[in-house]
Amino acid sequence: MRGASHSTLAFACAALLASRAAVARAQTAEPSSGTAGDEVPSENDSEGYTPPAGTNAAPALVLGGYVDIGYAHAQGDGTSYPPGDTRLPADYGVDTFATAVNSRGDVASTDSRGLFTNGFLPHSVGIGGRPSFLVNTVAVDLKYAPPSAPLTIFMRLLALPRFSATGDATRVLVEQAFGRVVPFDSLELALAVGKFDSVFGIEYLDNEANIRTGITPSLVARYTTGQSVGAKLFYRLQLAPLWSALSINAAATNSGTLVDALQTPDVSLTGVPVGSVRVGYELNLPTVQVKLGGSGMYGARNDQSDRTARQHALGADLRVALFGIYLNAEVVKIDEDAGGPKTNDSGQFMLASEFHGRGFYGQLAYALALDAGPLHKVTPYARYEQRHAWFDGFTPLTVDRITAGLRVDLWDSLIVKAEVLVNRELAGAPKVANNVETTSVVYSW
Amino acid sequence: MALVAAATLSSLLSGVAPAAASAHGSGRDWLGEEMPLPLAVKTPQDLAVKSVAEKQYLIFNLLAGGKVAWDAGDFATAATKWETLLRVPGIDPEIERVIRPLALTARDRAGGQAAAPAAARGPAAVAPANAAAPAPPPVRERISPVAVSGTVAGGGTAGPGGAVVWLKRANGETPRPAPAHGKVISQKGKAFVPHVLAVPVGTKVDFRNEDTIYHNVFSLTKPNDFDTGLYKQGGVYEQTFKKPGAVQLLCNIHSSMIGYVYVVDSPYYAQADGSGAFTIKGVPPGEYDVEVWHEGSSKTTRVRVSVGAEGLRGLELRVGGDRRPPAFVPDKSGKPRQSQLGY
Repeated sequence: MRGASHSTLAFACAALLASRAAVARAQTAEPSSGTAGDEVPSENDSEGYTPPAGTNAAPALVLGGYVDIGYAHAQGDGTSYPPGDTRLPADYGVDTFATAVNSRGDVASTDSRGLFTNGFLPHSVGIGGRPSFLVNTVAVDLKYAPPSAPLTIFMRLLALPRFSATGDATRVLVEQAFGRVVPFDSLELALAVGKFDSVFGIEYLDNEANIRTGITPSLVARYTTGQSVGAKLFYRLQLAPLWSALSINAAATNSGTLVDALQTPDVSLTGVPVGSVRVGYELNLPTVQVKLGGSGMYGARNDQSDRTARQHALGADLRVALFGIYLNAEVVKIDEDAGGPKTNDSGQFMLASEFHGRGFYGQLAYALALDAGPLHKVTPYARYEQRHAWFDGFTPLTVDRITAGLRVDLWDSLIVKAEVLVNRELAGAPKVANNVETTSVVYSW
Repeated sequence: MALVAAATLSSLLSGVAPAAASAHGSGRDWLGEEMPLPLAVKTPQDLAVKSVAEKQYLIFNLLAGGKVAWDAGDFATAATKWETLLRVPGIDPEIERVIRPLALTARDRAGGQAAAPAAARGPAAVAPANAAAPAPPPVRERISPVAVSGTVAGGGTAGPGGAVVWLKRANGETPRPAPAHGKVISQKGKAFVPHVLAVPVGTKVDFRNEDTIYHNVFSLTKPNDFDTGLYKQGGVYEQTFKKPGAVQLLCNIHSSMIGYVYVVDSPYYAQADGSGAFTIKGVPPGEYDVEVWHEGSSKTTRVRVSVGAEGLRGLELRVGGDRRPPAFVPDKSGKPRQSQLGY
């Protein structure tokens, strides 16, 4: 049979070639309802499909979220405390946030080996200097947007499993819970009430592991990306002839824009709200997008109870997107008055010291879209940042960090990231081995 | 068994005797019509060899004879030869793929009529004594387009509405569709209306803002990516979709807005209504691959069907519902946005 089949093909080959030529001639010779190459009008007269009135293409209730699992290794003992450094409080003389291992800014360790600290501490996964697997975050998002009203109700629940006896305990927290209403069809105006993201700067926009380009937050994220309870307003004015828009995002909240490790976001200790605002300009050309912003925050310092102790911050930000290249940069200045006894996520402390911080970062990323099977996108990125800060009466500290990483997007919902953080003490503290290598696998649903 | 096969082949060949004459008349000496072949048969093996040889001989003659007739402008003969060829049992699929559309075209050009019978002459007209009565050459009616209808099921929680169904020829190339005209997608109530629009490749679609606010419609779906820029109420932007496939529509201002254009490279297509029902009109009979796309499915459904002269009704198709709306909708630079922020 095999031989017969081959001989069939052999016999047919020459004739087939001739037939193909005939097909080509037929295609150009005259129109036909069934010949390839001719344009055949369709009898489809459909005007498309729209879901029935009163329903949305997307369901009103959407359950989403992500899980972020990592593997991290920090040099030394996982902290930034130099061996033999006996200065007190220990957390005033080093950058305790330097050994970040995940998107929440949790560090490898905050163990000060018994030295006194005064509550300027991040959350810790407690792995020390041991390379370890981590379940960084399990997030569940619940979003309800009824088709009959311009209303959105959103809640993000975070589970933060921590298995080390020397780090933070496992926590479950409501990171965001708010209602947002868009009262006018003709205006880009949104009002929100509840617990929501900061409005300061730009880093809060990609604070979550499944949306952030890299893994770890910047050194100034601790001042700008916290959530708090209150009310906020967003308004944007389009300037169509200029392909531009102006926007304002303003909030009045219990706490400021610092992360929850440094303040109490859900209750007001002073009874005095904190105001924060960002004013933005954006240029949205087809191939180039440029976004500029200036931010401010002013109000009572909410890690203590003295109503007169204030905190204020200023910031400026820049984002440029051009042919897959993304540049993000931000500069922040924050000052806090001295206050009474300090209360934050780390516990109760003796005194809220007067504090001053300055910092900036610039991040460059290139997103190479591949769409090759499961491989959707590859994004190498690099970030440089510097932070200068001091507590009143203590030695100013200057540190910088170089971050390099690679992000790979697989299918629609899986992200694999790897990142190296090179931390350097430039002034005010002994040099310490506190570089970090970390990875993250994020699955969104 | 071999004897029966030989008889069947002989009867097939005898049915195209006029074509043989035509082939000879065109001076193609390499086309022979001598049947049965003068091969000695003394053993069962001889008979098997002869049977196979005659089959190949017949295939070649029908294949090439049809082509000779086509070149001579004798489409009726070409059609008859190729139609006979397509009835040969166990024919190579490659031959079928190439010849079937040619046979249809030849029959069409012949006016749907079979070749006029000619006086039998030559050895091919002499059937073996044990052959069955020669089957008359098939007479195809002129091809009349028909309808293919059915229902699509699945699509997840959104249901099958909006599924795009199209046909591609299983044997041969699918005709190129002519661009459609007057296709519009409005931005209305911060939504794309229609939510899904199927258009033939090359169609120009008008994007019309019917809201009192600005929109900036764009797509990052290559190679059909585009960017309308900001435009206000009453503004219209024209975009021509030149390549087939799904095109996701987004708004740079309103992250909740998602819609789709599906660009088909076939004139035979339709969209399912909310119940999943669809009808594709103007389909010539033949073998087709039916393909179905739905926004809720990660894969395109494909099944093969045969469309007869009466069309095809009651086709039941299913699409998956495994593809959820994207967790984060990008802005036009490709940067994902958190939709709960509202900007």
